[in-house]
Amino acid sequence: MKKRLIINDFKANKLVTVSTCIFMAASAMLLGLSILLFGSLSSSIDSLMIKAQTPDFLQMHTGEIDEGQIASFSENRSDVEAMQICRFLNLQNSQLTIGGKSLIDNTQDNGLCCQSPLFDFLIDAENRRIQPDPGEVYVPVCYRTEYGLKTGDIMRINTEKLSVAGFLRDSQMNSMMASSKRFLVNESDYEKMKILGSEEYLIEFKLKKGSDTNAFSTAYEDAGLPGNGPTITYPLIKMMNALSDGMMILVILLVSTVVLFISILCIRYMILTQLEKDKREIGMLKAVGVSKKDIRGLYFSKYLLLSVIGCLVGVIAAVIAAEPLGTQMRELYGDAGNKSLIYLLMVLGSLAAEGIILLSVYRTLGKMEKMSAIQVLYGHGYFGKKKNLYLPIGIITAAALFMILVPWNIKSTIAAPEFVTYMGIGESQIRIDIRQTDDVEKTAKAAAKEIKRDDLVRDYTLMHTGSYKTVLPDGASYNLMIENGDHGRFPVRYIEGRYPDTADEIALSILNSKEMNVNVGDTIRVYKDLGDNHKSPVSCKVCGIYSDVTNGGKTAKACLDGFEDKTPVMWSVIYLSLKDENLADTWVENYREKYSALDDGIKTVKISDYIMGTYGQTIRNIKKAAIMSVISSCLILFVVMLLLLRLVIWRERSGSSLKKALGFTSAGIKGEYLKKTFKYILPGIVIGVFAGIVPGQSLAGILLGSMGAYGFCFIINPMAVFVAAPAVIAMAAALAIWASLEEVGRIHAYECLGARTGNY
Amino acid sequence: MRKILEVRNLSKGNILKKISFEMREGEMIAVMGPSGSGKSTLLYNVSGMDQADEGEVLFNGVEIVGLSEDEKARLRLTKMGFVFQQMNVLANLNIIDNIVLPAVHANKKQKRELYKRAQTLMDDFNIGDLAERRVNEVSGGQLQRACICRSMMMEPQIIFADEPTGALNQAAAADVIEAFLTINREGTSILMVTHDSKNAGVCERILYMLDGEIKGELNLGKYTDDDAREREKRTSRWLEEMGW
Repeated sequence: MKKRLIINDFKANKLVTVSTCIFMAASAMLLGLSILLFGSLSSSIDSLMIKAQTPDFLQMHTGEIDEGQIASFSENRSDVEAMQICRFLNLQNSQLTIGGKSLIDNTQDNGLCCQSPLFDFLIDAENRRIQPDPGEVYVPVCYRTEYGLKTGDIMRINTEKLSVAGFLRDSQMNSMMASSKRFLVNESDYEKMKILGSEEYLIEFKLKKGSDTNAFSTAYEDAGLPGNGPTITYPLIKMMNALSDGMMILVILLVSTVVLFISILCIRYMILTQLEKDKREIGMLKAVGVSKKDIRGLYFSKYLLLSVIGCLVGVIAAVIAAEPLGTQMRELYGDAGNKSLIYLLMVLGSLAAEGIILLSVYRTLGKMEKMSAIQVLYGHGYFGKKKNLYLPIGIITAAALFMILVPWNIKSTIAAPEFVTYMGIGESQIRIDIRQTDDVEKTAKAAAKEIKRDDLVRDYTLMHTGSYKTVLPDGASYNLMIENGDHGRFPVRYIEGRYPDTADEIALSILNSKEMNVNVGDTIRVYKDLGDNHKSPVSCKVCGIYSDVTNGGKTAKACLDGFEDKTPVMWSVIYLSLKDENLADTWVENYREKYSALDDGIKTVKISDYIMGTYGQTIRNIKKAAIMSVISSCLILFVVMLLLLRLVIWRERSGSSLKKALGFTSAGIKGEYLKKTFKYILPGIVIGVFAGIVPGQSLAGILLGSMGAYGFCFIINPMAVFVAAPAVIAMAAALAIWASLEEVGRIHAYECLGARTGNY
Repeated sequence: MRKILEVRNLSKGNILKKISFEMREGEMIAVMGPSGSGKSTLLYNVSGMDQADEGEVLFNGVEIVGLSEDEKARLRLTKMGFVFQQMNVLANLNIIDNIVLPAVHANKKQKRELYKRAQTLMDDFNIGDLAERRVNEVSGGQLQRACICRSMMMEPQIIFADEPTGALNQAAAADVIEAFLTINREGTSILMVTHDSKNAGVCERILYMLDGEIKGELNLGKYTDDDAREREKRTSRWLEEMGW
C-alpha cells in the first residue's frame, strides 16, 4: 500500500517529485564529487611522492659547493636517512624549442638534469623511474598539453637536438607554481650541454620518519652550509602540488554547500505546501487514531525513496563529472591509489548529503504534529502560518547569484594584474629577472642603467636578493632571504604596516613573520657582509607584513643596499612600467631580442604573462568550476522558481478562478504574478551581489589563504558582477516565470464554483 | 444491556455545560440541535478527540478524559470508528487502500486478512466492485460508504458519526443510513450527530441539544423497516415541541 501511495503521489505531483529528486541528486553529486576529487588528488599526490621519494628538505644553491662539508654534516646527524646533491643545468628559455614551439614566453626556469641516484626520482606515467638513452629527453608532463607535445617531437637547445622520448612527473616541480621545471636527459648529453647554461645544485635530504624538518632546517643554516637559493620542504612541495587543483575542489565544495542549502530550503517549502494541501487527510488519520509517528512515516517513506534515487543518480553523475575535471590531476600526478576507499568515501559523502536533507525533511514533517485533528474537524484547521512562497524565491535568487559570483570573483582576482601584489610582487607591467649569470649584480645594474635611458619607460626599480643571517629578539638565529631596493616604487600589498623606507627597517612575508614569531614593531638584527668574512649587525625594525608565495613564501624586504654591504646577490629583479601600456608586448620583444643574444641570464616577461605562467593552471581550473557554478546556479534557479511559482499558482487557483469569473484576463493575472515575483527577485539580486562581494570575499579569503595570499580584497570585474551575473540570473528567472505562468491560462472561471483543484 | 458510554457533567468552555447521558451497548443514538448548540463538540469530547475541561467519560467503564493523547489515539484506533461529513481520504490511494489504511497501522502483521475483511465489508455495503478505483472515480455516497467500511475495519464497539449524510443527495444518504442500520443490527453502537429528522428517526433515542445543554430526549425504541414513516413524523413533532 505504501508503495502504491508513493507511486500515485509521484504520478500526481510529477514536478514536485522530479524537482525534489533533482535537488537530492545535485547535492549528493556535488558533495560526492568534491570528496572524489579531493580523495583522488590527495591520494595521487601521496602515491607520486612516495614513488618518487620526494626529499624532506631541499636547498637550492647557485655557486661553489663543498660536497665533503655537506656529507660530513649529513653523517653526523642521526635524523638523516639519505643525502644527495643533484645538478640542474639552467637554460635560457630563448634557446629552447620543443616540437617547433619556442619557450621564449615561458615564465619558468627550465633546465636539464639527470636521474637522481638515491631518491627524488623523475618518473613516467606508470610511476617507473626513467633512464633516458643518449639523444633522448623526457619533458615535464605539464608541458604536454600546454605545447601540444607528443613522443618523437624534437627539442632544440641552442644548436643541440634531442628527441622527446616521453613525459615525466616531477614530484617537486610538477605544479606551475613551482618556478622551475626539470627536463631529464642522459648523463652524456648533460655533460655535453653543460656549456649552454649555468649549473645550480639541489642539495637534498631524506629524513628518517618522524624527524622535525624545521629543526633540521635550522641546523642546516647554523652549520653554514650552502644556501644561495630557496629552501623547500616536503610540506611546501605537497601544498604546491595540491593548490592548483585543490582550489577548484574547494570551489566545488563551496558550490555544493550552497546547493545543499537551496535543496533543504526548497524541499522544506514543498513539504509544507504538501502538508497544507493534505491537512484534512492528516487530521482524519489523527482523528481515527493513527499515531503521529505512523503518519510521519507515511510521508517520510516517499522522501526516503527519493533520496535513494537521488543518491544513486548523484553518485553516478559525480563519477562521470570527475572524469573531465580530473584530467589534469591524473596527467600531473597519475592515478590515485586506494581507489576503493576513495569511492567509499564519495558514497559516504553523497549519503551524508542525503542524510542532511532527510534530517531536515523529518524535522519539517514534525510540523504536522502541530496540526490538531480536532481543529481540522471543527473546520478551522490551523497548520502554522501560511508560507510565503515568494520569500524562498528571493532567498534562492540571492544564493544562486552568490554561487556564481564567488568563483568568478576568485577567478578575476587571481587573473587581475593587481593580484601579484598579494603574492609579494609589486604591481608593474614588466618584470625582468636576472639570474644564472656570473655577476648578477653587475648585469642587473647595467640593465637598469639601460632602462633608465629608455624614453618609453615611465618608472622602474631594481631589487637585489641575498641571503642574510639574522638574530631574532629571543636570541635565535634565522636565515633570511632579503630583497633590497626601493619598495615604494611598485609596492606590494601590506597586510599590516608599510614598506621599508630606511636602512633600519624591514618588512617580512607572513610565513616568515609566523615562523620567526616577529610582528610589526619588533626589532631584529640583520648581519651585513662587510667583506673578508666580516659581518656587521644592523638593527632593523619590522615595519610591515605582506603575503608572498614566491620562493616558498619566506621572504623579506629591506633597503640595505648601501655601499658597505657585500652580501652576494643571488638574483635581481627589475620591475618597470611603460608610458604607453599598449607597447608592453613590443617592448618585451625588443628587449628579449637585444639580450637573448648576449646570454646575460635575463628573463623578461609581462606581469600578466607571469601570472598566467604561474597561476594559469589554477585559473583554468577555477574557471572550469566557475562555469560549472554558473550552469548549475541557472538550472537550480530555473527549477526552483518554476516549482515555487507553480505552487503559488496552485494555492491561489480558486482566487485566480474567481478573478476570471469577475472579468480579469489571464494577461492581467500573469502581470500581477510577475510584479509580485520581481518584488522578491530584485532584492534577492541586490543581496546576492552584496553577499558575493562581502561575505564571499571572507570565504574566498580562506581559500586564497591556503595559497599564501593573505588579507586580500576581491578584484572584481564590475561588468561581470553588476551587469552580466545579475542579467544571467534575471534571464533564468524570467524563463522560469514565463514557463510557470503558462498555468494561469489553464485556470477556468467556472472552477471557483466547484471544488476542483489541479495537481501541481 | 451493558453501558458502553457514561458521560457525567462534561464541560468544555462555553460550548458544553455539564452534559450527562448514558449509552447502552448496541444502542443507536442521534444528537440533534441547531447549529452551534455543541453537537459536534460533544461527539469529539466523548470520543477522546478533544480534551474536556471538566467531567467524566467512561468508555466500557474506563475513564478516558485523563488518558494520555497516545492512549486515547490507540483507543480510537482499536475500539472506536469514525465517519465524518467531509469524506477525508487520501487522494493518492485507491478505495480499498484507504479503507485498510488505519487498520494496517494498528495491525501491521495481518495485511492479507485486513484486505479480505475490507473486501467483505465493501461487498456488504454494495461497493465491492470499486476496490481498485481512485477516490475521484466514485460518487459521494459510495465514498461515504467506503468511509463507513474504514470505520468498521477494526470491528469497533462504537461508531461516532458527524453529519455523515450532510454532503450527500437523498439517494446516497439513504444508502449510508442503511449501512449504519446494518452495522447496528450486528451489535455496534452508533452515536450520530445529524440535522436530518429522517436520519434521526431510525435511531433508538434522540438527544436534543441547545446552548451546550441536553434539553430533551425522545425514546423511539428499536427500528424496524415497517414504522419508518411514523417514526419520522414523531421525530418532527417532537422537534417542533422542543422549539426547533
